[in-house]
Amino acid sequence: MSDPLRLGVFYTIIRPEEKWILAAAEARGISVVRLDDSEVTFGLDAPPDLPDVVLNRSVSHTRSVYASRCYAHYGVPTVNAPEVVELAGDKVLCSLRLAERGILTPKTVVALSPEAAMAAIERVGYPAVLKPAVGSWGRLMAKVDNAEDALQILEHKSALASPVHSVFYVQEFVPKPDRDLRAFVVGDEVVAAMFRRSSEWRTNAARGGSAEAAPLTSELTELSLRAADAVGGGVLAVDLMESSRGLVVHEVNPTPEFKALTAATGADIAGKIVDHAAALARP
Amino acid sequence: MTNCPECEATVENKDMVQGEVFPCPDCGTDLEVLGNSPFTIQPAPKEAEDWGE
Repeated sequence: MSDPLRLGVFYTIIRPEEKWILAAAEARGISVVRLDDSEVTFGLDAPPDLPDVVLNRSVSHTRSVYASRCYAHYGVPTVNAPEVVELAGDKVLCSLRLAERGILTPKTVVALSPEAAMAAIERVGYPAVLKPAVGSWGRLMAKVDNAEDALQILEHKSALASPVHSVFYVQEFVPKPDRDLRAFVVGDEVVAAMFRRSSEWRTNAARGGSAEAAPLTSELTELSLRAADAVGGGVLAVDLMESSRGLVVHEVNPTPEFKALTAATGADIAGKIVDHAAALARP
Repeated sequence: MTNCPECEATVENKDMVQGEVFPCPDCGTDLEVLGNSPFTIQPAPKEAEDWGE
């Protein structure tokens, strides 16, 4: 009998999603190697006893980028691939790629200084949305309704020490119903989708938005698969809005949460993810 | 059982796994399970700027 497949799970904390992934692996006879992102070290030569595939569940974009690169360097496939993590985890790079693929996105302008950011906001028009290029859960996003708001928010951002805040990602505020859409892609399949509703303009589940199952229409399915493919494919959550121009893609998330989506749809997303990772394992 | 490092309330292990984060039932501080035998906990890592999906 051959040895069981060894799935590395690279994580920051164990949330319900990670517990479901661990349970799905166990149910499939897959051996899990826990890789705590605050403890793992990486040398230049491949260490012994590497897992056969690594599933990245770290909530840190920086740790995800470097860990994926290191495992790839050792010849261990990762979900997602390093290029996908780098691209989809950075809103600027992701928007550029979506535009290159002709995928409808909100009007977006990037600036690299507070002065240029003011011009970027004026180019986008009011109301505009300012987002950090990296990281999310809706944190540090700002809706800018007028020039006075813009000046105050830019002054506050300028006072933040992190270089992340010197990249200004400005997007049009898309008038939409009190909801947006999230489609969850695993490989070449959209496994489930949900509407996210909120009384405020940010609909993130992490900000208390509520979820309900959304039908997998052909438009939603086709656009979500195109967006996922644009960033390199894998396990991805595609966030979309219903605009007057039709569905627009505003984000593609490379290490998505799926607690709310699982509750809303009953889909076995953890199982799909584990099966996808197992299929990519090195022989 | 162990004690919350913030408020010293008694905290029980209710089928939690290593790495799981849960709120202290008394003070609400987020705690992380370090190990199950013995049951050990510490304050959960603080959310960093690059955290998110």
